[in-house]
Amino acid sequence: MTKPSIPLGLVFSQSGPYAMMAGEMRKSALMAVEEINQSDEFDFTFTPHLRDPAGVVTGYHTACADLIREEHVGHIVGCYTSASRKQVIPIVERTERLLWHPARYEGFESSDNVIYVGAAPNQHAVPLVRHMLDHISTDVFCIGSNYIWTWEMNRVIREIVTSAGGRILAERLLELGETAVDHIVKEVINRKPPAVFNTLVGESSYAFMRALHAAATRAGLSIPMLSCSLCEPELKLIGSAASVGCITSSAYFESIEGVENRSFVARWKARHGADSSLSVDGQSTYVCVMLLARAIRRAGSADVGDVRRAAANHRYDSPQGPVWVDPDNNHCFLTPRLARSAPGCQFNIFWEADAPERPDPYLSNLDLTAIGTRPEKSNDAITKRSTHLRIVK
Amino acid sequence: MTRPSPFSVRGRCALMVMRDEREISIVRRQLSRLGMTISEHDPAEPPPPNQAADVILMDADSIPIKSDHATLWKGNVPIIALIGTETPSRLKWLLDLRPASFLIKPLRSAGLYTALVVAFDSAQRRGDEAAHIEKLEDRVRSRRVVFAAVLQIMRGLDISEKDAFTLIRQTAMRHRTTIEVLSAEIIAAGGMPNRPRSA
Repeated sequence: MTKPSIPLGLVFSQSGPYAMMAGEMRKSALMAVEEINQSDEFDFTFTPHLRDPAGVVTGYHTACADLIREEHVGHIVGCYTSASRKQVIPIVERTERLLWHPARYEGFESSDNVIYVGAAPNQHAVPLVRHMLDHISTDVFCIGSNYIWTWEMNRVIREIVTSAGGRILAERLLELGETAVDHIVKEVINRKPPAVFNTLVGESSYAFMRALHAAATRAGLSIPMLSCSLCEPELKLIGSAASVGCITSSAYFESIEGVENRSFVARWKARHGADSSLSVDGQSTYVCVMLLARAIRRAGSADVGDVRRAAANHRYDSPQGPVWVDPDNNHCFLTPRLARSAPGCQFNIFWEADAPERPDPYLSNLDLTAIGTRPEKSNDAITKRSTHLRIVK
Repeated sequence: MTRPSPFSVRGRCALMVMRDEREISIVRRQLSRLGMTISEHDPAEPPPPNQAADVILMDADSIPIKSDHATLWKGNVPIIALIGTETPSRLKWLLDLRPASFLIKPLRSAGLYTALVVAFDSAQRRGDEAAHIEKLEDRVRSRRVVFAAVLQIMRGLDISEKDAFTLIRQTAMRHRTTIEVLSAEIIAAGGMPNRPRSA
């Protein structure tokens, strides 16, 4: 007997400024769909309906309207940027559909019709800033792309750093896609900041990291760099030498130990080649589809209300470890991790929370008064619900 | 002086600084229903030098926070902010523009009239308050003059401070002028000026 099929919308841009990341996400979504369709554990299959907004922000609204009207999808996995997600929210709210959003973002949003599977700011930025304050420097030079991600990251960094008595030495912005970075590299080399917080995205970031590496090598300097977004495929694009040594915060690295991840990486490489790499956003897209499938199975229906209820607190042992949806805000419990990019375009994880951390999209549990008042600071000093820390490497 | 009621929006001019075509069409339709005239301005461009508009509808997400011309929008024309992103960094930028009212995106036809009325009303109150403060500041500045005039009358007529001030106040009322203006005249004349009674 053939299993009933459920239509599933997949919205990823195959061209435009972030096509590389969206391509990784699309591949992961299709891998998850194929695994579910072949699995005995699910008594239904997904029929994927792909749409490509080509990186044009208004295209996301059109794509989702079309998926809902023509393909009758109840669930859509996709979007990468916040601008695209905000295009989709009105239509999923109006038509009572669910958007499963894989990418980390800057927070301050909580729609009943979005399941936020990427990390919230308390899960990506806060642990990284804490690490910087505790182990590198209280003074930092910030460089980022001139859009919402950087603006909000810089605000969070500034708030935490100044509460700890540190200083923002500079805040430099580049337009999205800008690769003329020499003036900023020159400034960094001249000022020799104790740390550089990099919230550039895409080609701007790659160009900056290459140029800074070259200039710092010439000058005999070693300037620590921090990032909340760097991932394995990007290390390859940056190049083997310039990509090494960046301290990165993420819920997923390909190098995570554990049966689920080893098996996931092996299946991925079998599909896409031994040279291919996983990324946090790709893995997160896979988790989106899996969380959805498991919620449908638990609900016994693909009805949006039933699925939302079934997804709440339903633990999934994913490649990145246990993940479940917090029904308070539709974001996910995830395990924050810190790693250092290493030769071979991989990350060496040196810290992880010992349990998944509750999402706090509005940073309402960020307790700044706890910063700078304790001589030996730890992450749980600033996130009230934070868990104990342990060194894993 | 008759002032337009904030409830009557007909005939007023709105400048739409927006990017999203769908939202522009919603706003344009509703403003036309309300009898307002409409002009449009590209958010990527700096503000026009002569803003003839009575109200500005500004898509807050369409103007980069750090752009040079962002703060040039700050002025006397009330701004209705159209808000999509609720991050503190964006809201701080918005607060610096002192919006008179706001709407949350996605826009619909409902809510726009309320936003307009609140914007016109708060702009009017802001104007009234600014005028009131200016008047108070003038008074504070002229206190020194009033004090000097009181002293002069006290010495000239050998009366108490209370009586000197009462005399100045009553004379100012009779002359239909302010205490501050009369005080300046007392200092200039070296005593109570002989001034014909106002008609």
